[in-house]
Amino acid sequence: MTVTADTEADAGQLATAERVRKIREAQDAGVSRAEGWRRRGPLLPALIFMIVVTQIPFVFTLYYSTLSWNLVRPGSRQFVGLNNYIAVVKDSQFWTVALNTVVLIVVVVLVSALLGLLLALLLDRAFLGRGVVRTLLITPFLVTPVAAALIWKTTILDPTNGILNWVLSLVGIDKVDWIGQFPLTMVMVVLIWQWTPFMMLLILAGLQSMPRDILEAGRVDGAGAFQLFRELTLPHLRRFIELGVVLGAIYLVNTFDAIYMMTQGGPGIASANLPFYIYQRAFLGFDMGQAAAYAVVVVIFTMIIASFALRLIFKSFSGKEEAA
Amino acid sequence: MAAITYKNASCIYEGSDKLAVDSLSLDIQDGEFVVLVGPSGSGKSTALRMLAGLEDIDEGAIEIGGKDMTGVPSKDRDIAMVFQNYALYPNKTVAENMGFALKLRGVSADERRKKVEEAAKILDLTEHLDRKPAKLSGGQRQRVAMGRAIVREPQVFCMDEPLSNLDAKLRVQTRTQIAALQRRLGTTTVYVTHDQVEAMTMGDRVAVLRFGKLQQFASPNELYDKPANAFVAGFIGSPAMNLVTLPVASDGVKIGDSTLELERDQLTKLSDLGLSEVTFGIRPEQLELTDSGGVEVVVDLVEDLGSEAYVYTHAGSGVELVARCNPRTAPKLADTVRLRRHPEGAVHLFHPETGERIN
Amino acid sequence: MTTPLVRGTEKTTATTDSAATPKKKGRTFSPWGVVAWLVGLGFFFPVFWMVLTAFKQEGDAATSPPKLFFTPTLDQFKAVFDQGIGPAMLNSVWATGVSTLLVLALGTPAAFALSLRPVRKTQDALFFFMSTKMLPIVAAILPLYVIVSNIGLLDNIWALVILYTSMNLPIAVWMMRSFFLEVPGELLEAASLDGASLWRSVREVILPLVSPGIAATALICVIFAWNEFFFAVNLTAVNAQTMPVYLVGFIAGEGQYWAVLSAAATMAALPVILCGWFAQNKLVRGLSFGAIK
Repeated sequence: MTVTADTEADAGQLATAERVRKIREAQDAGVSRAEGWRRRGPLLPALIFMIVVTQIPFVFTLYYSTLSWNLVRPGSRQFVGLNNYIAVVKDSQFWTVALNTVVLIVVVVLVSALLGLLLALLLDRAFLGRGVVRTLLITPFLVTPVAAALIWKTTILDPTNGILNWVLSLVGIDKVDWIGQFPLTMVMVVLIWQWTPFMMLLILAGLQSMPRDILEAGRVDGAGAFQLFRELTLPHLRRFIELGVVLGAIYLVNTFDAIYMMTQGGPGIASANLPFYIYQRAFLGFDMGQAAAYAVVVVIFTMIIASFALRLIFKSFSGKEEAA
Repeated sequence: MAAITYKNASCIYEGSDKLAVDSLSLDIQDGEFVVLVGPSGSGKSTALRMLAGLEDIDEGAIEIGGKDMTGVPSKDRDIAMVFQNYALYPNKTVAENMGFALKLRGVSADERRKKVEEAAKILDLTEHLDRKPAKLSGGQRQRVAMGRAIVREPQVFCMDEPLSNLDAKLRVQTRTQIAALQRRLGTTTVYVTHDQVEAMTMGDRVAVLRFGKLQQFASPNELYDKPANAFVAGFIGSPAMNLVTLPVASDGVKIGDSTLELERDQLTKLSDLGLSEVTFGIRPEQLELTDSGGVEVVVDLVEDLGSEAYVYTHAGSGVELVARCNPRTAPKLADTVRLRRHPEGAVHLFHPETGERIN
Repeated sequence: MTTPLVRGTEKTTATTDSAATPKKKGRTFSPWGVVAWLVGLGFFFPVFWMVLTAFKQEGDAATSPPKLFFTPTLDQFKAVFDQGIGPAMLNSVWATGVSTLLVLALGTPAAFALSLRPVRKTQDALFFFMSTKMLPIVAAILPLYVIVSNIGLLDNIWALVILYTSMNLPIAVWMMRSFFLEVPGELLEAASLDGASLWRSVREVILPLVSPGIAATALICVIFAWNEFFFAVNLTAVNAQTMPVYLVGFIAGEGQYWAVLSAAATMAALPVILCGWFAQNKLVRGLSFGAIK
């Protein structure tokens, strides 16, 4: 209501802006060196450790990829420039394996996210023994992956004595050699079994962090259960699902244990993913240079996808809440 | 105990270009209970936090007991603060919460226990001493927060809206208790609130802030009787003072066809300033129903509070006026009545553009 | 006796500040409950079968139809022990334990620094930590193998300790940071007004509040470290092999003997399963870490 005369107001504002500017300058200069170090100091040990242990090896990998170097043939270390990379591009197997990797990650993440969502919805309501069911459901995530792969391969999926074939035989379906015929799919099944609990827990946290009153408001406004889910719950859960998808994908890129145990990448390369393929080249074929080149290519692809993913995480979790 | 002086103190909001507190100057005496009041965003909490050392003093200075506090960290200022959300340490018991500051100073356990028990007695907390904050009600937690401050026997108490999380009845009760406590202890206290009733009832002097700037710093009575500008006039007092911008006539101000008369010296001041319009202020209790003279108004709403009634009306020209009257003789909705200024009634005149007081 | 100057009139009620209304305790029978039970049992079945098979005689193990009832025996477990599971167990315990401690030692101050006064650099540091996780470890294994063997740490448990620490550190920092962020800033202010130095405030006020979060983080680290296979199988041979590696080596020796394999698998997986079960709430808390913030 009290408005100063125009010219006075402008002059006043200019003066204020000037003072603010002076203060700002003083502030920026003022955060002393000591304070800066004190604030960031505790961060340094962890940071340095990570740089040393992760970045330096990668630099070496880059270097190796320019060599033709076979561990078994001593003295074979020579610089060959980008030859290894050309070999990578020309390697038709590489592309199949890359495809396998992508398929594996996408299918496992999507299916386990979906299953996780369903399970979270189931567990969101109270019922007798809910705690026990939750305990049962998180167990697959805890089991050592190689142990899990082993058990699935032998006791469950074995063509002759496995449980799956026995159950199917009860409904009149013939015995199937699951791992032999569907190697990649079986690997994916085991991975889905192990990762669904993780997704479920994340989404459950999302469900339980949702303020109930907006659901009540929706009900009063006349929305049915499905509409409530689609319009209110699902958008709220989006953050959590995204987080699960990104984290799951990060870990799944490195899938190795299940393939090693169940199929050894075979038959041929039918169920090999990039980590396993590279492992074969390096530790079974001893071709360091070649393996390094593959690894660098994998890293480049991953970095591209990862930068999108990281942006996604930070966007979703920069502390902004959606519901008022 | 110490006197506090704000000397043109200013502070910027983090990451913004706006001044949260703009050149605040206050002279607070030793033992005084000063209330900082104002709407949200007025900078009152920031001003308090600058005193406590929780916000930087970007410009100017603040002195406590004559010592400049620039660069002095909170822990060395000997100030105790009661936070709006109490900020009790969740993993400590009530006794440990209250004794923490003493423990940090190295006071012996026996001495600590004695002091804590004394404070607990004053605050009726003795039976809760071994409980953790999670097991207490809101009012009890508030008292623990106060106890934590009292035990320290600091030179200054800072209180940041300590009553706003309590329900209405408890608030009124606790208000009187805090005021009594402060009188007994005699510690200089700076108290922040957005509630002008708290300000008026508790403070020795009240500072009204708006957009970071000090509007007026005076005793409650003076704020009520002689507000320095239109903002203070409208902020203090409930229901608010009637404030309307009216055209000036030769003998008063015109409301529609009627004229509300003004005194000789008031009219002189107005013509000296060459104003054709003035912001006219009159409190509801200074308006009375009358049979003749005054302004004709139509009743929009009557609020009957039992002890008194407030009549909300509007005049033909659209001007709205609130008047106080006896609930037994209050008019009814849509009645046409006449309002005139009480013979002894004070009138407040403010510049229509700057809002500064004229009379 | 002085009458209290400030009188309290309200009763003591434990005020819960939970946002969600408390659910009714599940005495209710609901069809969805039944579905949930079935699904739960279904998911759990492979684990159940693994443990069950471990108690069978070989003859009972690989049969069709599979046997649910049989005379249990501890022979398989004995066989596994006799084969020398001890060293592998110890190696796993050591690698997991020490790396988790290192992660906490390095990560807690880092998380604290990143949560206290966020600066532009904070985002960058977090970004960097998370990005290290995204680098496929297969890219690092080659030079790591060379480096590790050059410095003589091949088949040495310390190589794994260091690698597991680097593996878990990013997630740990991120998780712990979210727990630190949950501490209301006012508590720190109150502590500093009470006269506490930063270090003292951290010790007496923040750490007690954050300790469940730190426990949850530790649990996640334990799970990932114990179950890790890729580094272990490539960088260890006989002396430093961890449980997963031992399990695989076991198979090569035993061929198709399901019962004893199940026993070995059970022993490999059991410690972490039990940890996860008993600290379930912490685990759930940990996994939903920054999800809430």
